[in-house]
Amino acid sequence: MTSMTPLVATRTRRPIDGWRWFGRIFLVLMLLYTAVPMIWMLLTSIKSGFAAMQLPPQWWPNEPTLASYHKLLDPTNSVGQDFLRFFWNSLFVSTATTILAVIVAVPAAYAFSRFDFPGRKFLFFAVLLRNMFPAVIFLVPLFILMRLLGLVNTHGSLIVTYLTFGLPLAIWLLKGFYDNIPYQLEQAARIDGATRFQAFLLIVMPLSAPGIIATAIYSFIGAWNEYIFAYTFLNRNDQLTLPVGIQRFFSENTTDFPGLMAASFMMSLPVVVLFLLLQRYFVRALTEGAVKH
Amino acid sequence: MAHVVLRNLVKTYGPFKAVNNVSLVVNDGEFVALVGPSGCGKTTTLNLVAGLIPITSGDISIGDRVVNDIDPKDRDIAMVFQNYALYPQKTVYKNLAFPLQMRRLPRDEIDRKVREAARVLDMTHLLERKPRELSGGQQQRVALGRALVRDPAVFLMDEPLSNLDAKLRVQMRSEIKRFHQDLKATIIYVTHDQLEAVTMADKMAVMNGGLLQQYNSPAQVFADPVNMFVASFIGSPAISLVPLEASTIDGRTVLTGAEGWTMALSPLNARKVQQSTTNKVVLGARHSTIKLTTHAAPGAVPAKAYTVEPTGDVTFVQALLSGAVVNISVPPNVAVSPDQQIWLEFDQERMHLFDGATEMALKVN
Repeated sequence: MTSMTPLVATRTRRPIDGWRWFGRIFLVLMLLYTAVPMIWMLLTSIKSGFAAMQLPPQWWPNEPTLASYHKLLDPTNSVGQDFLRFFWNSLFVSTATTILAVIVAVPAAYAFSRFDFPGRKFLFFAVLLRNMFPAVIFLVPLFILMRLLGLVNTHGSLIVTYLTFGLPLAIWLLKGFYDNIPYQLEQAARIDGATRFQAFLLIVMPLSAPGIIATAIYSFIGAWNEYIFAYTFLNRNDQLTLPVGIQRFFSENTTDFPGLMAASFMMSLPVVVLFLLLQRYFVRALTEGAVKH
Repeated sequence: MAHVVLRNLVKTYGPFKAVNNVSLVVNDGEFVALVGPSGCGKTTTLNLVAGLIPITSGDISIGDRVVNDIDPKDRDIAMVFQNYALYPQKTVYKNLAFPLQMRRLPRDEIDRKVREAARVLDMTHLLERKPRELSGGQQQRVALGRALVRDPAVFLMDEPLSNLDAKLRVQMRSEIKRFHQDLKATIIYVTHDQLEAVTMADKMAVMNGGLLQQYNSPAQVFADPVNMFVASFIGSPAISLVPLEASTIDGRTVLTGAEGWTMALSPLNARKVQQSTTNKVVLGARHSTIKLTTHAAPGAVPAKAYTVEPTGDVTFVQALLSGAVVNISVPPNVAVSPDQQIWLEFDQERMHLFDGATEMALKVN
């Protein structure tokens, strides 16, 4: 060991040049750019209404208070009732979207990866084609369509729309995953006594769990954060999802910034928690298939 | 254990015939190697027997049952894959138990069989590990164990040794051979390595371009190849094939080289040439059947040494003869240098003669 140490030390030391410092400064700036608004949101949410509007600003509130959170989570007042309903609506829409996305994307991706059927290439291209257009283009046509289907002012309109936009990438992501699972594993399972479906269920599904989790997170976050379609399709107050609800609710009254920030913070919680819990799967799924083994 | 019969087996992909009318019988307890270059249809044939791909036409029987439309799981076969195809999320124990679980065996019987297979293959200490924690040789052993644990009618092996390093390959080669001898198992073994086929198999089926070229014991295939492809595929270093011209001079049948020399043929070989329809004859000779001399001798033909490769116990000489390269092995004490004039004498008993047009071996009726 003693003779090893200097060798390792010289190996790990790399020249510190201008580019490296440039990179570090760039990263610090990026970090500030993304983190400061979040921190400011958190700080504002624990201020009183008066302190939030003060100039020059209080960097750290003189009297930190959780009053805004109490108000939002208290089902006995109208603010709390609305917030909790919006939260529940968002949770319902996002969860339903996620479950349906996984149910559709898993078999679709598997089929694209494993089977050779007529129109396979065209369909796969069509799936990706959707991603070439900005979502706003579809706003008015989809609204007209939803009205024809009688889905305006229902959560169904959002779930269907989110699936339309979420599924292409979900399928594409999962297909890459299945492409990386050797076909021989299924063949071995089938020789070992499994039916084709059992081979998929018992061997392929567990192996693709990281991909499925990544797909689920992706669908959930997309649906959770979506604003413009929810804003267009929903009018009734009791149907609103969080992004629209928060915006409407607080601009109707005199803007209560600590309340707004507390609501925003709580809205970002599920996404952050999901991401922290499952990020290693997500990163693995995104890089899987990048390099041929 | 059971016998396997392929009858006029055909597999096409669009216009491409991957397997073209292959018929062969694998007897009960026999070790048959399907051997040939890449893309010759040997793996496709194995997958057809396994039922992993549907056949285009023909019949496959395992035991006395035609299995054309039977699912792989119901064919009573086990397969060892080239990349082992171990279930990466399962431990070795669970990998071995999987085929038994799928057959709904009782738990204690599964445990007994898995431990027995692990004991036979000397990997009891590996049972709790995941495949990625094993070396290539150990993975190979687990793959073999997963096939063995079920006691199937037929073992199918798809290049099981080709991912191992050279030393381990030789070791596993003898282990699989031993495994066959102990179990009296019916094995169909696909390989592109003719040496594996020759050393392990009771019979070898040489394939090329989807066609079965020859099906016989390795010794027979080696001694009596049916055509130039089989002759050149089997044996290392490769057989030397020299294009020559046949003619009759003074009532004797002789072969003439491009340099103008002539070689008289033995009565049997002369008859083979006389009965052929062409005078373009290709002479095939293995390195050990050619005698090299450094001075002219009766019956020997002149050639020029090209390269000399001493390997220790034998020296390989490559010589140019009639536009072809001829491999000769000589004892290490024979001194030959490149570009030296040498004389080659071919063993008439052990030489092969092929039709230069059809590439088929010349035969006497």
